[in-house]
Formats: sequence, C-alpha cells, structure tokens
Amino acid sequence: MGARKKIITRRDFLRVGTCFTLGSLVGLPITEDTHADSVKRSRVVLVRDRRVLDSSGQIDRIVLRDMLDGAVAALQDVSEPSSAWERLVAPHDIVGIKTNVWPYLPTPEPLHDAIRERLTEAGVREENISADDRGVLRNPVFQRSTALINARPMRTHHWSGLSTLLKNYIMFVPNPSRFHDNACERLGAIWHLPHVKGKTRLNVLVMITPLFHGMGPHHFSRQHTWPYCGLIVSKDPVAADTTGARIIQAKRDAFFGEEKPASPPNRHIGAADTRFKLGNSRPERIELVRLGWEEDILL
Amino acid sequence: MGRCDISWGEPVKKALFLLLICLAAGSIPLLMTRQSFADSLETVATALARRAGDWTAQEKNGTYDRKTIFDYIDGAGEVYRAYNMRGCLSRSYTAAGKPTIVLDIFDMGSSRDAFGVFTHDRDGKPLEVGQEGLYREGWLSFWKGRFFVSVYMERETVAAKEAAFRLARAVDSIIGKEGPKPPILRRLPSKGLQDQSIRYLHHPMLLNYHYYLYDENLLNLGQETDVLLASYRRDGKRARLLLVLYPNPKRAQEAHRTFRSHYLPEAEGEGAVLLENGKWSAASRAGKYLAVVLEADSRYLAEGLLEEVRKGL
Repeated sequence: MGARKKIITRRDFLRVGTCFTLGSLVGLPITEDTHADSVKRSRVVLVRDRRVLDSSGQIDRIVLRDMLDGAVAALQDVSEPSSAWERLVAPHDIVGIKTNVWPYLPTPEPLHDAIRERLTEAGVREENISADDRGVLRNPVFQRSTALINARPMRTHHWSGLSTLLKNYIMFVPNPSRFHDNACERLGAIWHLPHVKGKTRLNVLVMITPLFHGMGPHHFSRQHTWPYCGLIVSKDPVAADTTGARIIQAKRDAFFGEEKPASPPNRHIGAADTRFKLGNSRPERIELVRLGWEEDILL
Repeated sequence: MGRCDISWGEPVKKALFLLLICLAAGSIPLLMTRQSFADSLETVATALARRAGDWTAQEKNGTYDRKTIFDYIDGAGEVYRAYNMRGCLSRSYTAAGKPTIVLDIFDMGSSRDAFGVFTHDRDGKPLEVGQEGLYREGWLSFWKGRFFVSVYMERETVAAKEAAFRLARAVDSIIGKEGPKPPILRRLPSKGLQDQSIRYLHHPMLLNYHYYLYDENLLNLGQETDVLLASYRRDGKRARLLLVLYPNPKRAQEAHRTFRSHYLPEAEGEGAVLLENGKWSAASRAGKYLAVVLEADSRYLAEGLLEEVRKGL
C-alpha cells in the first residue's frame, strides 16, 4: 500500500508563515524532500536593455537578438554566443521551439526568428526546426524532436496564478484543462511525459512587457503591463520561473501599495521543485547573473 | 380473440397516445431552453446597434459554447464553465486608429449564476448599469437576468470609454428583464457585511481562487452546492465567513466532519480555534448548511458570527 497523500491546507502555509508567506514562490519544503538539497545551484541569467522597445512600443529585433546572445553566452560561461549555441544543440538535432500564441502577449516573433537563426548557425537543418504552440502534438518536427527550446512571456493567470515556462508545456497533453486543479499544481508532471522528458535545452522567459495583474474574461489590460525590457534565460525552468515570479510579485506590491500575492497563489513552481524534481525554486539555490540595465530591476 | 384484441387495443392506443403527449410535453422545456437561449443571444445581437460612436461592429459575431469557449478566452473559460455557462456571444467594434472594443455577452442559464460570475471579479467602481455594474480602467462589466456582460477596451481613451459605456447601456436595455439573486444570500448576517466582498460560487477551484483553503475538495463542493464567501467588519475587527448549502443534511454533516478533522482538529465542540497567524476560526453545521468562520480578529467575533448564522437558518 502506498503512503496516503497528505492534504495540504491553508494552515500548512500559516505554520511556515515565519519563513514564507502564502503567496510564497517556493514550495513546501518542510513537508517533502527537497530536490534542491541534493543538487547543484542553477544558473539564471537576467538580461535587460531598455532599447528593446522603441518609442512606439515595438520590439527592436537587433537589440532583442543581442540580449539573447549575451544571456546564452553568460549561461554557458563562454564569450562567443556562437559557441554557446553549439553547446546547446548539435547539427543532427530536431528542434521544437515551444512558443505561446496568447493574442494579448504572445512570444514575440523576433524572438523565435532569433532562436531559429542561431540554431541554423549552429548547424541544425532548417527543416528540422519548427516553432509552435497549440499544434505541438500534431507537428511533425515536434513529434520527431530531440531537443526543445521553451520561450514564452510571463503573465498572471486565472488558474495557476502565473503563466510560466513550466506551464507552457501544457499543450503537450491533449486535455490541458485536466491540469487546472489545485492552481495547476501538477503541471510539473507534464515534463516527465516520454515525448517531453529530458529534451529541453534552453528556457527563455520573456519579461519585455510582463502582465502583473489580470481582469475580466480576457484577463488582460494594458495598464497592468510595464516595460521591464528583460529576458530570463536558464536551463532550469523552475529557477527561471522563480526569478520571474519574484519580479512579478515585486511589481504587484509596488503597484497596489501592499503585499498582494497573485490569485490564486502560485503552487506549481514550488511543486515542480519539491514534487517533480525539475529544478530549484529556493533562492539560495539560484545563481543569478545580471546583465545590462539595472534600474527598477525589482530583485 | 377478436373482442379481446379490440378491448386491449383501445387502452393500448390511448396509453400510447398519452405517452406520446407526455414525451412531447416533456421535450418542450428542453426545446424551449435550447431555443430561448439561441433566441436570447441572437435577439441581443440583432437588436444591438452595429455602431457605437466612431466604432463599427465587425461583420461576424463570435459565438461559443462550453467547449469552444477555450478557443476564445483560453483557460479563463473555466470560470464561466464553473458557473454553468450556456453560450457566449462576442462582437468586436473597431474604428480606424482607435483601440478595439470587445463586447462579450455570456448566457449563464440563470440569474443566480450570472450574479455569481459577476462576483468573481469585484474590483472597480460601482456603475449604474444592469442589476449591478462595475468599471475599472479598460473594462466594465455588469449582470442582468441570466446574462453577464463584459465590455473590454484594448486601450482606454476618452472616446473609447464613452463608446463602451454606450454599448453597455444599449445591451442593458435590450436584455430588459431582471432576475433574482441566489436565495442563500438571505442567510448572511447583515451587521458589518461588506457587500462588495460577497462571492457566490459552486466549484472548489473558485473557492481556492478567492481564498486558498486546501489542495483537496475537503468540503465536497460541486455544481449542486451553493457557496458564499463574505467579509465582515465590526467595531474595527474583521472576519471572513464561508457558508455552504448542500443538497441534503447528510452531505453537510460529512463535509463538516472532514473539514474539522483536517483543518480544525484541535476544535472542542463548536468553539473557535486560534490559527497560527493569530486569527480565529470556527465551524458549525445546521441542517443542510455548513458555516465556517475562516478568519476572525477575535474569538468573540468568530463565535458570535457563527451563532448569528445558526439563528438565521
């Protein structure tokens, strides 16, 4: 007989309240084994450049590509972006770029273009690269893929509190709404599915104009985005999401003038660490490298 | 044999005839429901002007059902499904060089659920439109009868706001008929009740959205349960109350037992328990109702509020 699953209630959060608030970005390390204790720190690169947005709010492709190059090189600890990409992928790889098409805040097209360009320069054949979101299960490149690159903007979300890199893989299951229970806590399980597991080479969390609060059926309002002008890049999706979530939380607190956790409280990032062992959510296990613009960095 | 055939044949024919009548009568509400739903959204769409100030409606309306709503509003569709949404009509209004205005009309099937989905997001300034309306920068919403209406501006400008208000009022007048709120609202003690805090729901996922309580459905909530979440303020002290109406006392009793064993195991009788954050919590059941003071600033407030609920049931 397996051990009976412990029901986690609000009181469990209250008991650890001296360390973590209810809206905490970490999981419940007191109740479960911590993956982070037994693994090395995760490197996360935050790169910012205010020039990535022009005066009309449009993305500057060149600046964005340079940001990506700088971040990937720093992540791999090399000086040349080209060698950084060559360490990420091999010419024989078949690469799916998992994007997000949510109309109000999609993965910027200049970003997939830049990733595609760098992949081809690293030797991956053009026909072995595809960017997709809702069609990934039917996409032949994704079906044959040996590598995935995960790229999406961060935003608040009705059910998960935050739409994250972890959540971006929800389209790898045929019935995404099955994962909406308990603030989408089980999203990490998707990363263990055979057609996904172990394939992700790079995560790019787009923080150019993140959405820090949602309202209405469309869960979007321009006034709740801001020009943060950043990218968060890491091989560890949990660490990248944790870093992004800290920024969103700081922005919410500043905007509303009080501590205002996202509703519902984010649970899937912590669970991805403690339950699904996908990476590090504890700040002390994250090595944060900052590049570029420092003003209002919120970290 | 022949007589027998005749004598048995007539009653059988009559019975069959009656059965057909009954079947036909039984199917009328079904047909009416389907028909009236389609007519209602269609009626609104037909009656509604295609112009609002400088804005003109796009040629084609969007129509969505419980399945296709995800295609339109992504995961947020779950909210409307959790309130028994029957259909959604969407119409975009555009004007050259100006932000798009998106009108969404949700048929929730009942005024109770239209009210419920309205309470899902209560931020904003009260607006005199529909039975209750709210305005926040870029978005206004209201409920009336069995409809929940949302008017969203992709970017708010003075002109867009004016057009959005005009649209909302036009839809309000077309809907016409008002509907009742959920009867369970009458069970809430009135003293110190913060009207704007009231949430009416059925689904445990929505309860967790507003007030995270547990990762399992400890209270056994579902479509057949009516749930209220409300805040109180009395003499400078605050409390948050959860009131659930179950289909039968047995289910309420079971939920009460499960809740106490997992959430308030140290409770003695119906006395309040001091939580780790310095707030007080208590639970009580009466018949089909379960009342829980989730958090109160004082023991006196927690137990007093619970007593008042009990007396009002």
